[in-house]
Amino acid sequence: MEKPIIFIKDTSLTGDSSREIQTQLLKVAREKGIEDLQVIRVADLGIYDKGVALKICSLDIIYVNVKLSDAEKIIQTTIKEGTPIEDLLLENQAMQTRIVLRNCGIVDPESIDDYISRSGYASVGKCLFDMTPETVIEEMKKSGLRGRGGAGFPTWMKWNLARGSFGDEKYVICNADEGDPGAYMDRSVLEGDPHSVIEGMIIAGYAIGASKGFAYIRAEYPLAIERVQKAIDQAYEKGLLGKDILGSKFSFDLEIRLGAGAFVCGEETALIASIEGKRGTPKPRPPYPSDRGLWDKPTIINNVETLANIAVIFQKGAEWFATIGTDKSKGTKVFAVTGKVKNSGLVEIAMGTPLRDIVFQISGGCFVPENKMIAVQTGGPSGGVIPEKNFDTPVSYEHLIELGSIMGSGGMIVMDEDDCLVDISKFYLKFCVDESCGKCAPCRIGGYQMLAILEKITAGKGTLEDITSIKRIAQGMQKASLCALGQTAPNPVMSTLRYFESEYLDHIEKKKCRAGKCTKLLKFTIVPEKCKKCRLCVTNCPVNAISGDREKGYTIDQEKCIKCGRCFDVCKFEAIARA
Amino acid sequence: MCSTSTTTSPEISTLVEKWRGKKGSLIMVLHELQNHYGYVPRDVSLQLSQQLDIPLARIYEVITFYNYFKLDPPGKYTIAICLGTACYLKGAPDLVDEVKNLLDIGEGQTSKDGLFHLDVVRCLGCCGLAPVLSVNGQIYGKVKRSEVMGILSKYKKED
Amino acid sequence: MVQLTRDDLKKVQPKIKAGQQYVKVGMSTCGIAAGAQEVFELFTKEIKQHDLNVVVTKTGCLGMCHAEPLVEVSVEGLPSVIYGRVNGEVAHRIIEEHVCGKRLVNDHIFDLPIRR
Ligand SMILES: Cc1cc2nc3c(=O)[nH]c(=O)nc-3n(C[C@H](O)[C@H](O)[C@H](O)COP(=O)(O)O)c2cc1C
Ligand code: SF4
Ligand code: FES
Repeated sequence: MEKPIIFIKDTSLTGDSSREIQTQLLKVAREKGIEDLQVIRVADLGIYDKGVALKICSLDIIYVNVKLSDAEKIIQTTIKEGTPIEDLLLENQAMQTRIVLRNCGIVDPESIDDYISRSGYASVGKCLFDMTPETVIEEMKKSGLRGRGGAGFPTWMKWNLARGSFGDEKYVICNADEGDPGAYMDRSVLEGDPHSVIEGMIIAGYAIGASKGFAYIRAEYPLAIERVQKAIDQAYEKGLLGKDILGSKFSFDLEIRLGAGAFVCGEETALIASIEGKRGTPKPRPPYPSDRGLWDKPTIINNVETLANIAVIFQKGAEWFATIGTDKSKGTKVFAVTGKVKNSGLVEIAMGTPLRDIVFQISGGCFVPENKMIAVQTGGPSGGVIPEKNFDTPVSYEHLIELGSIMGSGGMIVMDEDDCLVDISKFYLKFCVDESCGKCAPCRIGGYQMLAILEKITAGKGTLEDITSIKRIAQGMQKASLCALGQTAPNPVMSTLRYFESEYLDHIEKKKCRAGKCTKLLKFTIVPEKCKKCRLCVTNCPVNAISGDREKGYTIDQEKCIKCGRCFDVCKFEAIARA
Repeated sequence: MCSTSTTTSPEISTLVEKWRGKKGSLIMVLHELQNHYGYVPRDVSLQLSQQLDIPLARIYEVITFYNYFKLDPPGKYTIAICLGTACYLKGAPDLVDEVKNLLDIGEGQTSKDGLFHLDVVRCLGCCGLAPVLSVNGQIYGKVKRSEVMGILSKYKKED
Repeated sequence: MVQLTRDDLKKVQPKIKAGQQYVKVGMSTCGIAAGAQEVFELFTKEIKQHDLNVVVTKTGCLGMCHAEPLVEVSVEGLPSVIYGRVNGEVAHRIIEEHVCGKRLVNDHIFDLPIRR
């Protein structure tokens, strides 16, 4: 018999009364003759802003807004008699659903036995022995799985096209280039459960008739590379890769190819060029890779997360998979939630979960509790922002596109009132400009020009015409760029213009940055009434812009000031004003 | 082919043998060379060009396209500061400023004493610990501007 | 090399057999950056010193990157729990209080609702 255990956590933003209630619960329990009760203060219960929360471990129920006076009743009714108290019960809690991350944090990623013992490679067995490539593709169609790498193209369709193309050799490529800065879902899967990706690739190979696969992994992920290589070696060792897999007639070889720090190599045709050992510049499509890809042979390219889904679909059935998610978006999506949230980390949710649940319930809301959240950015440099007023939108391919953003590969950056949206848009655009391969003019020149305009605006030199120019350039880039990098590069700017045009206007007309991030617009001054003449700012200013003496007080020479903010940071008396 | 008299070092021969006959291996070979030397020296590229029978221009075309490959020797310690979105939002630009100030170097430069090299990179994959920097692969998370000096002096001492 | 057959797959045993007591340390890039390697070594050492029947293994990312290093502990008579922000001192307490004393450690448990 397990000992009775209660987890306790004060989830309110102010104060902590968990110790009091903890003591009270223990006291009451002892009075009632329960000696072995453990009441443990925990760091997190996944519940926020609901007073003191208790989890009764044996019943797996959660009480919220618990008061000191409830202790008596809880011990008597719940612990002694085993009945829940309806009034205290937490109603529907936002949950994660883990399919892709099913093994992450459970198996030892360096042990193939661990993976196999959790039904690993059973799906390969099922496909090779019980199904034909056609029925495999049919099953994928029923599952409704769409690509998780960004575009959301139905996976079965891609496979079907490649199956239909003629080629003496075909290839399966796993896209593990994970270029979106600030997103690391794929890294976690590769490091935590590499075999799930390998299994997905074998099944894909069987479906399209390929006997060779490449995992294209970015070089910045040394641990992922090491673990995947180990996993591949182990799979060869057990006859799960190589000739006659599991004793069937199907053979499949797999090797790793490394990226080398070029974002554009995430694009399919550029990635292929890179594996061929060339510069990673995109090519016009068609021909599509499913027709003529790697070394001009039919090729499919799938994202890590897409591939990690596949084994589960065959293990539990396409029907089961299709019950999760929305009409047009099936299954789950992993997001790397970062930025100004309390719990930054990986979140895997069923499609259709409202954004608000992800940000406030699962991720615990704002990092600085008093701050107001203003927007979430999805899709990285190709995506857009979703303002707080739209947080009730369900997360799915179709809903995010409606809002002018995209699902993307899974980056989710949360921004609060301390962040400037113009600055963030500039950051993303600069990323695309840096990463443009330079092959086509709309992207190479358009991006550069648009960035110059944003620099101008954030320096307080913008005009209203600039907004018109931005829109014109954006249109050119979207229509005429060769690859999706250029076509989508204006998205962050366009979407912030759509929802937060007033911020742009503030920068242009009032020369003001609400968040104080655009340093060139800042003005630091000394508030004489608050200044204690301690000279701390004088000694800390790197350019000696602060002068004066104890008699007359101190002033900042605005000509000399480089807006570094040191004085603001070091002043202990809040005597430096930043406006 | 140009007639330089460089003799091929044994490492390069082994490497070339390992990848010979495999299609599209140039980038993988360059990775191994950079791992070995810390950068891709010009004479090594030359040898490679002869061994693999690829024009030198083709090799340089590839090296210069990819950010990861370096043509100059890095400092003894490479400081990589992440400027991915998560780190950017949490104050990574301040860390870059601090390192620049402390070492008097710019992005992609090596300090005068040859000890430190500063690189700005995109996402080290630890966004949960933002802002992040790494020194020769050792990652430091949730770094504050005031902590940079301490981290650097640790390596200075070791030297 | 051994050629496994389809039937062989069903017979493969996990590293940690049912009922076995264990400590799993999350060792992905983020965990290691936060100090998981030292924590892993500390657990291994202490468990050996105390001569405990507990297996220490590494595992992947549990997803709660803000709370790294993360450690899952499962011993007989207690539910398995996940501890976050585990440093040397906490690791020591986990061995002393949780593994040996069968009492969970205050203030470090992260218990998030996840459906698998
Ligand atoms: C500039 C650019 C970068 C991309 N980066 C990635 C990436 O890092 N990872 C990824 O899986 N897909 C990336 N993609 C999308 C891929 O081109 C491709 O659509 C995807 O890998 C297809 O796999 P899926 O159908 O499984 O999603 C990128 C696309 C573009 C245009
Ligand atoms: S759109 Fe940009 S990245 Fe794409 S091919 Fe053109 S220049 Fe290169
Ligand atoms: S954004 Fe810095 S580690 Fe990901």
